[in-house]
Amino acid sequence: MASDDELSLLLIVVDVNPLWWGRKAQEEPEFSLSKCIDAIMVLGNSHLVMNRNNRLAVIASHCQESHFLYPSKHWKGGDFASDENSAGSRDGKFELLTVANDLIVQEIKHLTARTQVRGQQTDTLLAGSLAKALCYIHRVTKQLEAGQEMKSRILVIKAAEDCASQYMNFMNVIFAAQKQGVLIDACVLDAESGLLQQACDITGGLYLKIPQTTSLGQYLLWVFLPDPDQRSQLVLPPPVHVDYRAACFCHRNLIEIGYVCSVCLSIFCNFSPICTTCETAFKIALPPVLKAKKKKPKLGT
Amino acid sequence: MTTSSEDVLLAIKRVRQKKQDGILFLMAERIAWTPEGKDRFTVSHLYADIRCQKISPDGKAKIQLQLVLHTGETTNFHFTNESSALKDRDAVKDLLQQLLPKFKRKTNKELEEKNRMLQEDPLLFQLYKDLVVSQVISAEEFWANRLSLNSVDSSLPNHKQEVGISAAFLADVRPQTDGCNGLRYNLTSDIIESIFRTYPAVKQKYAENVPHNMTEKEFWTRFFQSHYFHRDRISMGVQDLFSECAKLDDKGLKTMVGQGVKNPLIDLTSLDDQTLDEGYGVSSAPSSSGCTKSVKETSNTAIIKRFNLHSAMVLAAGLRKHEPQNEQNSETSSTDGNSRDSDFFQPPLKKVKLQEAIEYQDLKQENGKKTIALTLKKSERYSHGPVPVQSQPYTTSQDIINSVNYIKHEMDNYTPHLNHVLSSSAASSAITALSPGGLLMQGGAHQAINQMVPNDIQSELKHLYVAAGELLRHFWSCFPVNSPFLEEKVVKMKSNLERFHSSKLRPFQEKVQRQYLSTNLTGHLEEMLQASYSKFHMWQSKRMIRKT
Repeated sequence: MASDDELSLLLIVVDVNPLWWGRKAQEEPEFSLSKCIDAIMVLGNSHLVMNRNNRLAVIASHCQESHFLYPSKHWKGGDFASDENSAGSRDGKFELLTVANDLIVQEIKHLTARTQVRGQQTDTLLAGSLAKALCYIHRVTKQLEAGQEMKSRILVIKAAEDCASQYMNFMNVIFAAQKQGVLIDACVLDAESGLLQQACDITGGLYLKIPQTTSLGQYLLWVFLPDPDQRSQLVLPPPVHVDYRAACFCHRNLIEIGYVCSVCLSIFCNFSPICTTCETAFKIALPPVLKAKKKKPKLGT
Repeated sequence: MTTSSEDVLLAIKRVRQKKQDGILFLMAERIAWTPEGKDRFTVSHLYADIRCQKISPDGKAKIQLQLVLHTGETTNFHFTNESSALKDRDAVKDLLQQLLPKFKRKTNKELEEKNRMLQEDPLLFQLYKDLVVSQVISAEEFWANRLSLNSVDSSLPNHKQEVGISAAFLADVRPQTDGCNGLRYNLTSDIIESIFRTYPAVKQKYAENVPHNMTEKEFWTRFFQSHYFHRDRISMGVQDLFSECAKLDDKGLKTMVGQGVKNPLIDLTSLDDQTLDEGYGVSSAPSSSGCTKSVKETSNTAIIKRFNLHSAMVLAAGLRKHEPQNEQNSETSSTDGNSRDSDFFQPPLKKVKLQEAIEYQDLKQENGKKTIALTLKKSERYSHGPVPVQSQPYTTSQDIINSVNYIKHEMDNYTPHLNHVLSSSAASSAITALSPGGLLMQGGAHQAINQMVPNDIQSELKHLYVAAGELLRHFWSCFPVNSPFLEEKVVKMKSNLERFHSSKLRPFQEKVQRQYLSTNLTGHLEEMLQASYSKFHMWQSKRMIRKT
């Protein structure tokens, strides 16, 4: 049983790539970004309600920036009555939930409103969002009172495809999370993501690709709401087999056996006498040539 | 009764064994006992079998001798001859003491070694049981690799650790009252060694006197009786064996003090009673104008002197081996007996130590090590992840603009409807997919294998793996086959493997099948055995070709 002093922080990183969402919404109108945000709010509220000490944070991962939807800098905490916009809880809900929901809505609206169209930046800044998440977790850990412990996990809801250029940053973030003891769970809506599979495998989280996006809320509540301690008691989807193969530097094919340059450690699928990265020359040993046995000339005749 | 070539070294009558009277014979190679009136020996032990002998203590009524064999058996002989029992027993004991060392078997060490190894490592024991006891492999092959490892180890214990001297060794020799006004001291060889190391004068005396003038026992009795040993070491008047030792000790202490302390940083002279001049452990010899002091003072200084000597000796005994002689000589030359000069003299060793304590290697300036920089031409290749280059869906700029506008529009009009997040049909389909056996839960069945197989089968499988591994190791180590010895070994190992296969693996498989376990537990073992069979056949066919 978790003691009363143990905090559990759930950090949700939502991929709000407008290009992907816009295109998807045009194809399937039933599932749109609004529905996704609704489902996330349900998950967030449930998490806050599970335990008095639970905390929540939501980050939106955009092509241009990573933005904290909750908690927000613009929130002036305290007296709600003085704030005209939110006149307290309208439907008898727990105040914190109302505040959280309102903030999330407000912030996402502002975020999408200031989206600018840029051709080159079409990838979600996922590595950056994860880095911000880890910094937030670190800050909260430092602000704890003495004797309080905090367990944190990050849930990534991914929509767009992987971005290969963020690979290094991504791996650094994953290893940092592993060192900090932060789990990374992944809920993938569309394309399988090898990077997130690796992240979940390394940190000990859960990876799930959802077959039906309309039931997102149900998947979130069933699989990703329970704490890591409780997961051992539940029957959850088994871990995915992760493909850890490296990609060769020349063709970017995934290979199992290859040639590695001993100077610069670059990987190739075929042997080449000069390494193209560091220009070192290599020789490959040929099998020894067998000398033909000399036959002794026959004596006589 | 006795074989013709045996000569009887000693025959003792009236020796009882197991409540029967008889005669004890000591022959050239064995000791034997026959009951009174009988012809043959009922008890006979080769000297080689005897590990040690024990005698009953002197005070007891029964005079007995016990023989302990290597196997642990004991045989008791009770000497009942009224007049000469003790003499007889002692004669037997002495003879045995001379004879036993000659026959001490060296080869037994190996057996003991093997037993020890088997006892220490339960896995090895299990392997031994599986392979040797069930005749799959012979014992020599089993021990062939392992004993060779151990014979290397046996050379290591030669570098025994030097044992230091316990500072309380004399106090540990606690005397026990012997009943009638006497004191009994128990001396072990450790204590004797400590006494010799701390007081070399005593060692000298021992070497001089034992065994010419007196026995060991007498020597030690005198030692403990001497005033040298006791507190009040006022050794005037009483002419003792050890009064010289006291003088020698004083001399030794004087020279030690004269040498000074070599490394003042481990300075103990500040604890000294006498006031020293300013300086580093160098002092003149304490003024030995003992006659002017009172008797009490004399005895106090005597005790303190003894303690100092004792401690100095104990410390020196530990260091004596490691300090080279040159160091000693150089130090004595630099530190004179005069205390005045010590202010100007810094013993070099002290300086070095201080220097070490002050400087940190990390903080010094780097003496730039010459390094060769790596020149990379296309370093962006490293940062590309293992994401294979796939064809991306073509997005025109128009698409981008459309998507962005759509989202902007949607979010503008966004109000959360948390009541309508999920329809019940969607929820139930998701739940079905997540329930055991559902779409997303397919991979789970593989994990339960270690829960499906009972524990005893698992452990038996482990034993099989260990045994098979051992056999396969022997087999594969024969290749490449260079010598006729290896050829024979290969053939033998192949037959061993087949025997293992039929005698151990097949019954296990059948047992598993009988228990309706559908999992293929022995598949991998079979693969390994098949690989070795095919290698053997290949080698055999090659050999045939070469011969023809």
